[in-house]
Amino acid sequence: MSTIQYLFDGFAVALQWHNLLFAFIGVVIGTAVGVLPGIGPMSGVALLIPVTATLTSGMPTDAAAASSIILLAGVYYGAMYGGSTTSILLNTPGESSSVVTALDGYQMAQKGRAGAALSIAAIGSFVAGIIALLGLVLLAKPLSNLALEFGPAEYFSLMLLGLCAVSGLAGKSMTKALMMTVFGLMLGTIGIDAVSGIARFTYDIPVLYGGLEFLTIAVGLFALGEVFKTILERDSGDAPIAKINRILPTKQDLKDSAKPITRGSLLGFFIGVLPGAGATLASFFSYMTEKKISKNPDSFGKGNIAGVAGPESANNAASGGAMIPLLTLGIPGSGTTAILMGALIMYNVQPGPLLFDDHPEIAWGLIASMFIGNLVLLILNMPLVRVFAKIIQTPKKYLLPIIITISFFGVYAVQYTTFDLYLLLACGVLGYLLSKNDYPVAPIVLALVLGPMIENNMRRALTISNGDWSIFVTSPLSLVFLIIAAAWIIVPLILKFTGKKVIVNEEE
Amino acid sequence: MTKSFDKIAGIVFLLISILFISESLKISGSAYGSTIGPKTYPLILGIVLGLLSLRLLYETFKSKSESKEKSTLEIKKFAIIFISAILYIFLLEIIGYVLSTFIFLVVTFQVMERGKIISTIIISAIFAIGVYAMYVQLLGGALPKFSLF
Repeated sequence: MSTIQYLFDGFAVALQWHNLLFAFIGVVIGTAVGVLPGIGPMSGVALLIPVTATLTSGMPTDAAAASSIILLAGVYYGAMYGGSTTSILLNTPGESSSVVTALDGYQMAQKGRAGAALSIAAIGSFVAGIIALLGLVLLAKPLSNLALEFGPAEYFSLMLLGLCAVSGLAGKSMTKALMMTVFGLMLGTIGIDAVSGIARFTYDIPVLYGGLEFLTIAVGLFALGEVFKTILERDSGDAPIAKINRILPTKQDLKDSAKPITRGSLLGFFIGVLPGAGATLASFFSYMTEKKISKNPDSFGKGNIAGVAGPESANNAASGGAMIPLLTLGIPGSGTTAILMGALIMYNVQPGPLLFDDHPEIAWGLIASMFIGNLVLLILNMPLVRVFAKIIQTPKKYLLPIIITISFFGVYAVQYTTFDLYLLLACGVLGYLLSKNDYPVAPIVLALVLGPMIENNMRRALTISNGDWSIFVTSPLSLVFLIIAAAWIIVPLILKFTGKKVIVNEEE
Repeated sequence: MTKSFDKIAGIVFLLISILFISESLKISGSAYGSTIGPKTYPLILGIVLGLLSLRLLYETFKSKSESKEKSTLEIKKFAIIFISAILYIFLLEIIGYVLSTFIFLVVTFQVMERGKIISTIIISAIFAIGVYAMYVQLLGGALPKFSLF
C-alpha cells in the first residue's frame, strides 16, 4: 500500500466520531493548559494520561491506544498554541517556547493590536502544523524502513545519541544535565530485570518489583514541582490584561507575516526533528532569523508582527517535527514526547519502525487526527480567544490546590497504591529543588523511559558479540551515531571554551 | 543558595553512586551464556554518576561565590499544604475519596487565601463529588469509598 492509501486509512480512524471528540477535547484542554501559568505541556499531558486511560478502558487495546494518543497529542500541540495567548496579553509566557512571542506580541497588545497578534499566531500555528505534518507523512515511511535495518547495537547508540542531545542542550550546566540523565537511567533499573528476572534494588519491597512508574515521576517532577514553586514564591501581583478589540488581522498584517510564517515553519520543523533541540530553540532561531532578514531590524521588540508570526510558527512546527523521531525510530527527543511514548508503552504499543507495520491505524490515525486537530484549533481559537483570555484570570488560590488534587487522583487511578502518592509528593519537592538550582528535570523523565530499552539493546548487542564491546564501533551506523552523540557533548564545551555564547534549551 | 545546594547535591549524588556501585556488585552475576549479566549496566551507571558528581564538586569549589540573592519563601504556607497533602494520602483509603478530598481542598483553599468560606466549601464539594461521580458512576473506575467502619 502506498503512503496515500495509509493516510486515507488514517483519516478513516481519525474521523470516527469518538476520535473526533477526543481530538477536540485534547486541543481545548491543551489550549487551556498552555494559557494557564503553572502547567506546561509536559505536566498537562502527564496529568491526562490516567484520564484517557479510563475514558478508553472499554475499547479494544489498539483502538484505545489510538484514541488516547490522539487526545494526548492534541494537548501537546494545543498547549504550544495556548502559550502564545498569555505572552501576548500578559507578557508572561505560559510556557518557555513562547518567551520570544512576548517580545513583540505584548508590544502589539499595548498598541491595541492584541487581536491581530493573537490571530496571526493562530494562523501561523495552523500553517506550521500542516507543513510539519506534510513532512511527517513524507518522512515517516522511508525513515521507519531505514530503522528496520537497525540491530541492537545501532539502537543502543541511537538512544545514547538522543540522551546526549537532550543533556547537551538542557539547562545552564552540562554536568548537572548529564547527572540528571544518569540519575534517570538509574531510577529505570529499579525492579525486576527484564532479561534475567533478577530483582534489582528492590530490597524486598513488593511495590518496587514493577519498577518506578514513570507517570508518578513525571507528574511529580513537573506538575507538583511547578505548583510548589508557585506556592513558595509569591508573585508580584497580577498584571492587567490587554484588551482585545479587533480579532481579524488586516490584509497588510497577512502580507507582512506570510513569509515569516513560511520560514518559521520550515526552520521549526527541521529543528524539531533533531533530538534535544525543541520548540524553545526553534522559536529563538526563528526570531533571530526574522530580525536579521528584516529591512528595519529596529522595529523588532516594538511590536513588529513578523516577530510574532515567525516564532509562533516555528514552535508549532517543531512540536510536529518532534513526532517524527518518536513515531519512526521510537526515540523521544524531548520531555513531552517522552511522556507520549510512555503513554503508548502503557498500552503495550511500542513506538518505532514496527509501529507503521504492526499498528498502522495508530500511527496514521494520529497523523490524520493532527490535521483535524490543527483545523479545530484554528476554528476554535479565532472566535474563542476572548474566552481563553478569561481562563488566565482563574485565581491561583483555587487553581493550585485543584492541580494537586488532580495529580493525586490521576496517579492513584492508575496505580491504586498510596505508595505512589507519597512518591509523587517526594518527586514534587525534588522537582522544585532541582529546577530551582538549574538541574534540568526533563532528562530524568526521558532517561527513565529510555533506560530499560537502552539496557536491553546493550545486552542483546553484547550477547551477539560474545561480550565484545567493540561491536558498538565496528558497525558503521552505530559508530556514526556515537560520534554525533559525542559531538553534542563536546561541541558546546569547545564553544564555551572559546567564549562563544551557547543557546540552551530550557524546559518545555 | 545555588552554590551551597550544589555542594550538598554533589555529595548526595556521590553517595548515591557509591551505594549504587556497591549494591550492584551484590547482584548475582550472569545467569546464562552471556558474560554481560544484570549487574553490568547499573555498575557502569554508578561509576559515571560518581565521576560526574566529582566533576560537579570540583566546578563548585573552583567557581567564585556568587552574590546571594535573598528571596522570601512562603515556608509556612507550603509546610501546611505539604502536611495536609500527607494527611490526605494517609486518610484517603480510610475515610474515602470524597471526604478526604473535600477536607484537603477546604484546608488548602483557606491556606492560600483566608475568607470566602462559603464559596470555598461549595467549590470543594462540587469538585470532590463531581470527580467521584464522573469517575466511578460514569466511567466505572474505582476509588476508595466512603466508610468509617
